[in-house]
Amino acid sequence: MTAFRSSTGAHPRSDPRERLMGGLLLGCTALAVASAAAVIGALGLETVRFFADVPLSRFLADLAWTPSAEEPGFGILPLLAGTAQIAWGATVMALPVALVLAVFLEFYAGKRTASVMNAAVAALSSVPAVVYGYFALNFVTPALKGVWPGLEAFNGISACLVVGLMILPTIVVLSREALGAVPRSVLRQAVALGATRERAVLRLALPAAWLGVLGSVVLAMTRAVGETMIVTLAAGNPTGVSWNPLEGVRTLTSFLAQASMGDLAPGSIEYGACFAVAAVLLLLTFGMHALGRALVSRGQADAPGGSRS
Amino acid sequence: MSAPARSRETHRVRRWLRALGGVAAGITLAALCMLAVVMLLNAGRGPDAGISAHSGLLAAVAGTLWLAILTAAIAVPVGVGAAVYLEEYAPRTRAWRFLASVLANLAGVPPVVYGIAGLALFVRGMGLGPSILAGGLTLGVLTVPRVIANSRRALASVPESLRWNALALGATRWQVVREQVLRAAAAGIVKGCSAALVRAVGAAAPLLIIGAASFTTFAPVSPSDPLTSLPTQIFAWTARPQAGFPALAAGASVTLLFVMALIGLVLWDIRRRHGEARR
Repeated sequence: MTAFRSSTGAHPRSDPRERLMGGLLLGCTALAVASAAAVIGALGLETVRFFADVPLSRFLADLAWTPSAEEPGFGILPLLAGTAQIAWGATVMALPVALVLAVFLEFYAGKRTASVMNAAVAALSSVPAVVYGYFALNFVTPALKGVWPGLEAFNGISACLVVGLMILPTIVVLSREALGAVPRSVLRQAVALGATRERAVLRLALPAAWLGVLGSVVLAMTRAVGETMIVTLAAGNPTGVSWNPLEGVRTLTSFLAQASMGDLAPGSIEYGACFAVAAVLLLLTFGMHALGRALVSRGQADAPGGSRS
Repeated sequence: MSAPARSRETHRVRRWLRALGGVAAGITLAALCMLAVVMLLNAGRGPDAGISAHSGLLAAVAGTLWLAILTAAIAVPVGVGAAVYLEEYAPRTRAWRFLASVLANLAGVPPVVYGIAGLALFVRGMGLGPSILAGGLTLGVLTVPRVIANSRRALASVPESLRWNALALGATRWQVVREQVLRAAAAGIVKGCSAALVRAVGAAAPLLIIGAASFTTFAPVSPSDPLTSLPTQIFAWTARPQAGFPALAAGASVTLLFVMALIGLVLWDIRRRHGEARR
């Protein structure tokens, strides 16, 4: 690969077409990098301004996030707690179903079943978040109310359920990729040595793929952390922190959506607060995505007969 | 363990695994069906006559089509170009690897964050206001890293030997890329772009942040008109508790899914025709 890149002999730098195309592609890359830098820079700039007004210690230690109140609270912890509740809740709902489905589709399902389920998973992954939000508010919450009459109109459990449904395809698709990366020859050898199919799947394929599966879960959680519409529509906008799933939850993302519905005056403290929250969200999802990708690629490299050999 | 006991155990395990798999598949299918039935039933109820006179979807549909075109025009050339450069041209130095990984991980940053950045950059910084153009730029910027990630995956799956063989036959670097690599990766790239674009068309959060109008009296005819789109319209109607609005929101949702399916169909046709042209 390196040799191909550095072999300059085969493409004369004097050829104008070569230079034009190389320049164009480099220009595209420069544009992409510039737009990324602009996004990060814009968030960073306003966040720095915000921290000129609000000390970092209050941001980390205040126990309320009420930037527009009479006596404002600027603690990020309540929002982080809400985001953690939704992300964990959704993962706990989605993981068992998604993992079983991935193993089933990869090793057991017949061709017809697999193609139907693939289509269903693809359909679930292309439903827009705002439609999921509608579903959560107008169907899941009323349905759950039949089970728990004490359920509030805006609650965490319905948001968790529907966010879980939304991240299910991510876990299924990526876990299947990880399971599929385990060489079939290894599994066949195990069966030839007397292991049953179940043993090969549960004791060999699943442990070999577990880093990739873990990576898929981390990537799915990243999506849950960033999910905005479902949480804004179904989980409400309470200012307090509650660990009761029957009550409302406010997350980093739903604060942003709620705040932007009012008129944000540039330069105001609420405006700066939005950028600070967005910066936290950027750092959090960036880090989680990096971790998830690292796990997925480590999983591929670690698989027996994987790309490391 | 004696042989019969063991075989009985594996039979039990196998039955359990199959049953569990069936249950998981059933849950997934049931959820999808419920989603479809709820949307269609609510949409079928129709809004009250009093609201419906003021709640047409033409403006929102036109806004969404404008946004789809703008997003594609920005994200596809920039994203695919950058992906080709990063996979085929960029030297494997630490600096390039760092840039590539930053771009890769920006694909995991949620759309709301881009909405806040778009508010500062396009709505206020460039003075575009909450216009279709500001929305298209925001969606474009958020889609670029996703297009890069998907296209790079397609390019990386092209066998290295293809490049070497073409080089050995005297092709220049761009000839290798155009005649071999891009041809082999074309289907994957178009698929990756479609997935990223369909996501962008369904995104409501960033448009809401930069200030999409929830009530418009005319359909946007140019990119400088006020921002309106189907997803933000669905959000606005869903968030209103008054009777009649849920039905409106459901109708708009069905319309949005229809528009997305239409866009998907166009992209699928491009993919199919390209595949035929290759053979």
